[in-house]
Amino acid sequence: MKNINPVWRGLISLIVFGALGYGVGFGISVLVNGAAKTSPAGPIPSVFALFFGFAAFFFGVIGYRGVTRGLTWQVIGTLVGAFVVVGIRAAMGLSAFDGKGFFLPEGAWVFGGLVGAISFMFGVGVLSDWVKWARGIETPEEHPQDESGWKKFFSVSLDHKVIGIQYVVTALLLISIGGLFALIFRTELAASQLQFLTEGLNIFSQNGLQLFNTLISLHGMIMIVSILLGIAGITNYVIPLLIGAQDMAFPRLNAFSFWIAVPAVVLLLSSLVLGGFDTGWTGYPPLSTLAPVGMQMFFLGVFVAGWSSILGAINLITTVVRMRAKGMTAWRMPILIWSSIAASLITLTATQFIGLSFQMVMFQRLFGMGFYDAAKGGNPILFQHLFWFYSHPVVYVFVLPGLGIISELLPVFSRKPLFGYRWVAMSSLGIAMVGYIVWAHHMFASGMNEYLRIPFMYSTLLVSVPTGVKFFSWVATMWRGKISTPTPMLFVLGAIMVFFIGGLTGPMNATVSTDLFLHDTYVIVGHFHDTIFGGFVFPFFAALYYWFPKATGRRMNETLGKIHFYLMTPSFFVLTFGMMYAGFLGMRRRIADYDPELHLDGIHLVTTIAGYLVAISVIVFIFNFFYSIKHGEKAEGNVWNSRSPEWQVPSPMPVHNYDKSFEVIGEPYDYGSGDNGYVKFIDEPASNAH
Amino acid sequence: MAHTQDKSSALSQGVIIFVYLAVLTIIEYFVALTFDATGLLIVIAIIKAALVMYYYMHVYKLNSDEGADNRNSYAYKAATDRLGLWLFLLSDTFVFAGLMVSRMNLLGLTRPHLNQALGLFVTAVLLVSSFFMNRGETAMKFGDVKGFMKNTAVTFVLGLAFLLGVVFVEWRMAAAEGLTASFGNPATGPVGGVFYLMTGMHAFHVLTGLIFLAVVWNNARKGIYTAEKHWGVEAATVYWHFVDLVWIFFYPALYLIGKVVQ
Ligand code: HEM
Ligand SMILES: [Cu+2]
Repeated sequence: MKNINPVWRGLISLIVFGALGYGVGFGISVLVNGAAKTSPAGPIPSVFALFFGFAAFFFGVIGYRGVTRGLTWQVIGTLVGAFVVVGIRAAMGLSAFDGKGFFLPEGAWVFGGLVGAISFMFGVGVLSDWVKWARGIETPEEHPQDESGWKKFFSVSLDHKVIGIQYVVTALLLISIGGLFALIFRTELAASQLQFLTEGLNIFSQNGLQLFNTLISLHGMIMIVSILLGIAGITNYVIPLLIGAQDMAFPRLNAFSFWIAVPAVVLLLSSLVLGGFDTGWTGYPPLSTLAPVGMQMFFLGVFVAGWSSILGAINLITTVVRMRAKGMTAWRMPILIWSSIAASLITLTATQFIGLSFQMVMFQRLFGMGFYDAAKGGNPILFQHLFWFYSHPVVYVFVLPGLGIISELLPVFSRKPLFGYRWVAMSSLGIAMVGYIVWAHHMFASGMNEYLRIPFMYSTLLVSVPTGVKFFSWVATMWRGKISTPTPMLFVLGAIMVFFIGGLTGPMNATVSTDLFLHDTYVIVGHFHDTIFGGFVFPFFAALYYWFPKATGRRMNETLGKIHFYLMTPSFFVLTFGMMYAGFLGMRRRIADYDPELHLDGIHLVTTIAGYLVAISVIVFIFNFFYSIKHGEKAEGNVWNSRSPEWQVPSPMPVHNYDKSFEVIGEPYDYGSGDNGYVKFIDEPASNAH
Repeated sequence: MAHTQDKSSALSQGVIIFVYLAVLTIIEYFVALTFDATGLLIVIAIIKAALVMYYYMHVYKLNSDEGADNRNSYAYKAATDRLGLWLFLLSDTFVFAGLMVSRMNLLGLTRPHLNQALGLFVTAVLLVSSFFMNRGETAMKFGDVKGFMKNTAVTFVLGLAFLLGVVFVEWRMAAAEGLTASFGNPATGPVGGVFYLMTGMHAFHVLTGLIFLAVVWNNARKGIYTAEKHWGVEAATVYWHFVDLVWIFFYPALYLIGKVVQ
């Protein structure tokens, strides 16, 4: 095995141990439910295959350490936690096993899942320094040396650059998984009637219709998690470099925030095979109180992922407040920092509300506390308030860093100062603040008190003002600039165009009289894909193309980059215009089938084809990304001719960032002014993180 | 300002603040017993919270520029840690705020039927624990490790008493009076669920606070803290007072405001 390529080793272990896990699960299923009631694609064999397969894949790649050890501990922890609950139930005289085909009762899955996630953290080793501190043992100031080469990415590292790349690669993996789910249900939607997700299907204890629902729901949440991780990746990598710090303020917390996302993703994915759920990503009760146990795994996964973002936000804010280079006053910070801070403030506070709302559904299901059960005196609308108090602001978490990236890169490629720097900086905070008071625009049709509709309509329309500031600044920055269009700039321009359409489709949803018709149709789906692609996906790609040389010392292939852009952008426009078109003609969201009499077959087919084209373009990107790490053109200097400090030193960035600290002596974006630049390096070793 | 005080005036300040808090709590209790004054109760709770935040949690320290001349100094790093801790508490506040919102939405101006004497008693226990925590921290600030350990031990015992009191006495008595977590009782509706969720979430924080206290107590025993370097102690203290701060709002929300549901 030694001299086989590690990826092949991983795949071989995946197959062998996946099959073994399947066998174990199948055996258990037969023992508990009897041979007649055991389906070959049932939840228990699948969940064991998933767990064993995952762990074994990483075992094949790097051996028993890092993430392999974490996953192994997660499996063991899950089983231990589950059997504790089974034992307690047995002692209380309740049925110890579940009759509905999920082997364990719901409480055992939930508690097991939680214990499993915590065990992962111990297994992977991010907690070991804290355990030492708690016991009064000091750990060295200097970070332990990471091993060289790619293997360091599979175990705990405290280096913000390594963590940033771990985040980005995980985000790309999740985008691929979420995208795959989308292609599956888009294919089903390509024509009216049910083609392959039929009622006759029986897989993971759900029929085709339920599977469709599970796939759209998981598509939504997996993409959201991937966005959060993608943003965390960019900010983690870039922000300490921008402010001249050697690392984030809390390196261990930083590693913790990344690694906790891994068990969260495992939990989310396990919901697919544990019966799925049919609520969409929003998880509204009462539907979510009736769904199979997969629902609980979804809630738990989101809850755990929420901690990843909260702790990441704490770290980011503290880093920026405490570790900026000399002379970097608030008005001289790069604009990306302003927008990331605004986003982090939202994450820090509002995330607790989605956690709480989900937790309350979990408790309702487990202990019969009927918070959202109207029959028992509860109030399902309360859930929607709590949920949207997070989930509206979070759309600004998705887009603010992306908009910051646009403002960061535009001056570089237009060779002109950013127009209205202070206004742009303030607009990010403005969007974040107004974002807190608009949540009920998602509930115009929910049956909440009617008098709430008007204030929420106006507050929502108010968001357009700070958003407009940004557009104004972008256009004015480009005006009469010396614009060049390498791939990162193409994506910036694409982002502006796409976000423009997304923004324009907002006010019609915000206006009560139109929204009552548009709500729950494909118009909404088109709207938010435009905003999220414009505000996150395009800028994310721009950022990856732009900072890739900083991380690797090579640049990504331009031809492939252009193919990526020119394939993705038009296809994407067709995709979302198709969605909106179908929506205006009456296509509802979240249904697997539609009436042939609506004559939507044509537009759905076009939309599906466009979806496939977007997927192909992303595959081109992923290929380019991994190909260029080794084979890209060398680019060790200031590739984009930027003023920013990270480009004033050779790439790739050394382990401890800057050798010397720098002082800010100019404005960040004064391109073409002929001054002495933004920063000056001074003879003083850079200060330490701890 | 507090950080330039000598030890005895710092300690006596702790006593004075404790007296204020105790008197306000008693006023609160009797106000609630005699007439319906939700607004007044909110004002009292806010005053109590402000006292705790300023004098016990020393929130003003966030603004200090200790160690700014040397970023590698312990003081500078402790100040960085302090900001991180307060951001965490801000985030945590939103959990409790969400619970409050749910409570107001589901119960409005009604409250569960609970044993008032017991409620006042556990509240007093937690308040006294905060007082000893403050003494402990003050002792540490002046390098008195023994004094720190003694006072923290008292805090720990009181905290444990609160935790056990809520979970084993309060919950049992409530259950015996018909308050069930599963909204079984058609008359009380969601009251039970809200009560157990709020007290449960708070109790969970008390539990983590106790673990934190045990850890710093043990480390103090090993002698790793000094008058200048005791960030761990400060963090545990602030966290413990935060747990008390939450109860300052939860106590009236559960015991005092609104009409009792039978
Ligand atoms: C900043 C970028 C934006 C993002 C990322 C975004 C994202 C979203 C998402 C994800 C949804 C769908 C939620 C769901 O039901 O699953 C949505 C719906 C909505 N958006 Fe946006 N949006 C943005 C900007 C705007 C703007 C500028 C407005 C109004 C001025 C707006 C108004 C609305 C309204 C009213 C709905 C609810 C429609 C309904 O469900 O009936 N959005 N948005
Ligand atoms: Cu919204």
